[in-house]
Amino acid sequence: MKLSQLKVGDKAVVTSTGSDSLVRRRLMDLGLIRGTELKVLRVAPLGDPIEILFKGLYLTLRKAEAEGIGVRLHGGEAPQAPEPGRAGHRFRFGRAS
Amino acid sequence: MSGGRDITVALTGNPNAGKSSLFNAITGAHQRVGNFPGVTIEKHEGFVDCQGRRITVVDLPGTYSLTPFSPEEIVTRRFIIDEKPDVVVNVVEGANLERNLLLTVQLMEMGVDLLVALNMIDEVEEKGISIDVKQLQQLLGSHIVPTSARQKRGIDALLEHIVRVADGRIEIGKNKLVFSPEVEHAVEKIAGLLLHERALDGTNHRWLAVKLLENDREAYRLVRQYPVWVRVELALQEAIVDCERMHRTDPEVLITEDRHAFIRGAMQECVRQPYDGKATLTDRIDTVVLNRVLGLPIFLAVVWGIFQLTFTLGAPLTRGLEYLFMLAAEALSPRMPDPFTRSILIDGILSGVGGVVVFLPNIVLLFIGLSFLEASGYMARAAFVIDKVMHRFGLHGKSFIPMVTGFGCSIPAIMATRTLKSRSDRLATIMAIPFMSCGAKLPLYVLLSGAFFPPATAANVMFGIYLLGIGVGLWTAWMLKSTVLKSDSEPFVMELPPYRWPTLASVVFQARMKAVMYLKKAGTLILAAVMIIWAASNFPRSREIDAELSREKASIGASEAGAEQKAHALRLAESKAQAGQLEYSVAGRAGRLLEPLIRPLGFDWRIGIALVTGLAAKEVVVSTLGTIVSIGHTGQAADLVSILRSDPGFSPPTAISLMVFVLLYIPCVASMGVMKKEVGAWQPVLAYTGYVLLVAWVASFIAYRLALAFG
Repeated sequence: MKLSQLKVGDKAVVTSTGSDSLVRRRLMDLGLIRGTELKVLRVAPLGDPIEILFKGLYLTLRKAEAEGIGVRLHGGEAPQAPEPGRAGHRFRFGRAS
Repeated sequence: MSGGRDITVALTGNPNAGKSSLFNAITGAHQRVGNFPGVTIEKHEGFVDCQGRRITVVDLPGTYSLTPFSPEEIVTRRFIIDEKPDVVVNVVEGANLERNLLLTVQLMEMGVDLLVALNMIDEVEEKGISIDVKQLQQLLGSHIVPTSARQKRGIDALLEHIVRVADGRIEIGKNKLVFSPEVEHAVEKIAGLLLHERALDGTNHRWLAVKLLENDREAYRLVRQYPVWVRVELALQEAIVDCERMHRTDPEVLITEDRHAFIRGAMQECVRQPYDGKATLTDRIDTVVLNRVLGLPIFLAVVWGIFQLTFTLGAPLTRGLEYLFMLAAEALSPRMPDPFTRSILIDGILSGVGGVVVFLPNIVLLFIGLSFLEASGYMARAAFVIDKVMHRFGLHGKSFIPMVTGFGCSIPAIMATRTLKSRSDRLATIMAIPFMSCGAKLPLYVLLSGAFFPPATAANVMFGIYLLGIGVGLWTAWMLKSTVLKSDSEPFVMELPPYRWPTLASVVFQARMKAVMYLKKAGTLILAAVMIIWAASNFPRSREIDAELSREKASIGASEAGAEQKAHALRLAESKAQAGQLEYSVAGRAGRLLEPLIRPLGFDWRIGIALVTGLAAKEVVVSTLGTIVSIGHTGQAADLVSILRSDPGFSPPTAISLMVFVLLYIPCVASMGVMKKEVGAWQPVLAYTGYVLLVAWVASFIAYRLALAFG
C-alpha cells in the first residue's frame, strides 16, 4: 500500500522509502525511515499536499511524493507512549539541581 | 595554546531550533550580514568578548542534515571543512530532541570539536520532559549546555564552554558511531584505501568513506580526481551488492537507519517524555487554520492583510518621504541661480536619491509582515494551502506571497522570494513577478481607460489588463520550469513548525537588515540608472530652443495683454520649450529612432519617448506623455484627458495597445537592479529583458489589431 492511498486519520508503518532520491533523502533526514509509525492528519483545502505526523514532527508532502512511500496499515493505539528507560542519574529540568 | 587567541565558532542546527534567536542573544548588536560565496544565502556574523577573548560567531543556515542536496547543507559543510572553526556549536531543540540529533550525529561523524546547546529549555520544562544530560553527554561524547534564548538563560555558560573547548580544556570524546556489520566492513575497507592516497592526507578518511557510501556528490567529485578511485569504486560496488543481497536496500538507506537506531537508543536511555493525549495548541490552531472549508478564506485574509499593511499603511509614509524631498528641492533651488547646476542637483541627483528611498517604507513594512509570518509558523501553512494551484504552474506554494506582493511593487516582491529554497523555483518566481501589474502602472491605466472608454467599460478594460498580466506571469513561470529550469525542483516535503510567538527583536532585525541590504546593494545601481535616464532626457540641449524661449518671454513681457493672459502665454511657451528640449535629447532621439519598430502597435514617436523615459519608473510614462502631447496643442489650456481625446495620434485601439505594452515591457530600472542582485548575474536579466520586449510587442500587436477589427 502507498502512503498516498491512506485516508485522513489512518495510522501506518513505513515499509519502503521510495525511489526519487531527493525526496527520499529529505524524508530520511527528517526521520521517516522503514519502521516509522505515522498518522495522516489532514489534506489541504484544495486536496493536494497532505499532512502527516511521525515522531512528533508535522510534515507536509505532495501526493505525488507520497506515492513512492510504501506503508502497511496499522491499527491500535498511537505509538507515542513513553518506553521504559534505564533508571540512573537524572537531570530534571525545572527543579533546582 | 596561547591564552589570548581569538576563537571562531560556527552555529549549526535544524530550522526552527531557535538558532537565530540564540545567535542574537549571544552577539547582541555586534552583527554583520553578508552572503556566502556563490550563493544567495545570507551569512550572519557577530562577535562577543568573553574572558578577554574575541569570539566570532558565524550563524550557519538551518539544516536537518549534511547531505549536499540543498544549498544550505552545502554551505554548512563547506564552512566546517574549509574554514575549520575552533568550535562547532550544535543548537538542538530540547522538546524535539530525536529529530535534532540526526545533525548532531553527523557532526560527530565529521570529528569536529562539538558543543551541544540544548535550546528552548523553557519549553522542555513546560512540557515536563526530563533529559538525562550526563548520560547523553556520555553517548555523544561532547558537552551539553542547556540554554534558552528567550529567557537569556545559559548564554554565559555556553560562552564559557566555548572557550574551554577551544583551549582543549574539555575533551571531546570523538565517539565513533558503529554501523551495522556490512556497512562497517565497507567503511573500514574504503577508509583503508583512502589512507594510501597522499593527496587526501588531512581529511577524515572514515567520514569520507561514509559519504561515498551515502552516494554523496561532493565526496565523489573529490575522490574521483585521484588514482585510488579505481579501487574505491570497486569496493563501493561490492558494498552495494552486499547490502542489496542481505537487506534488500542500498548503503545510503542502511546508514541513515543506523543513525536513527543510535538516536532511538539514546532517546530511550536519556529522555522521558510524558505522554499526554490532549491536543497541543498548534493542533488546535491548525484544525481551524488548515480546515478544509476555512483554510482558504483564512489564507486569503492573511495575504490581503499583508498587502494592506505594506501598501495602504505604506502609502502615507511614501508620500511623506516624497514631500520631504520636494521640500528639500524647494529649499535648495533658490540658492542655485545657475539653471544648469540646479537641474543636475535637483532633477538629477536629488530625485535619483528620492527614487531609491521612496521604496523603503514598503520594503520595511512587507518584511515586518513576512518575518512575522515566517517566525510564527504560518508561512509554511500558507504554502500548504495554496501549493496545489502554484504547482500547476511548476511553482512552489511559497511563491504565492511574493507574487501577490508584486501587485504593489516588484522590488520588495523580488526580495521576498528568498523564502524559496530551490534556485530554479526562485528564478521562475522572480521572472513572473514583474508581470503582476504594479502600483506605478496604475496612473497610466486610469488616464487612458478614462479618456477613451465610458466608465463601465473602463473598469472592465483595467480588469482585463490585470488578468492578462497574471496570465503572462504564470505562463512565463510554467514555461521556464518546463524548459531551462526543469532541474532541481524543490520537493514539497516540509515541516509545519509549531506555532510560536515571534520575538519583536528578531522581526525588527529582519526588516532592518532588508532595508540596509536594499540601500547598499541595489540602491547604488538604481541611483546610477535613474541618473543616466535623467541625463538622457535632458541632454544634449538645443541652444536654439533656449534662445527662442527667451525671445518669446521678452515679447510676452513687452506685450499689452493682461497679467493673466501673460502668465498663460508664458506657461505655454515654457512647456513648448520643454517638449522641444525633450525631443532634442538622447531619449527623444531614441523615441524617434524606435518609431518604425512601434508603428505596427499604433504608437508614434511621442509614445516612443514616453516609453524610453518610463524605464526610470513607470509613473514617468504619464508625465512624459503629458509634456509631449501638449506640444502641438496650442489652443486653450486643457486637461490631459481632453488633449489626448482630441489628438489624432490616439484612439481607443492605441490606448489598449499602450496599456498592454506598459504592462508587459521592461520593468523599471529599480526592479532590474534588485533582480540582478537576487539572480546574481547579468546574463539572465538581459535574456529576460529580450523576452519581455518580445512578449510585450507581440501582445500589443495582437491587442491593437483585435481592437481595430472589433472596435
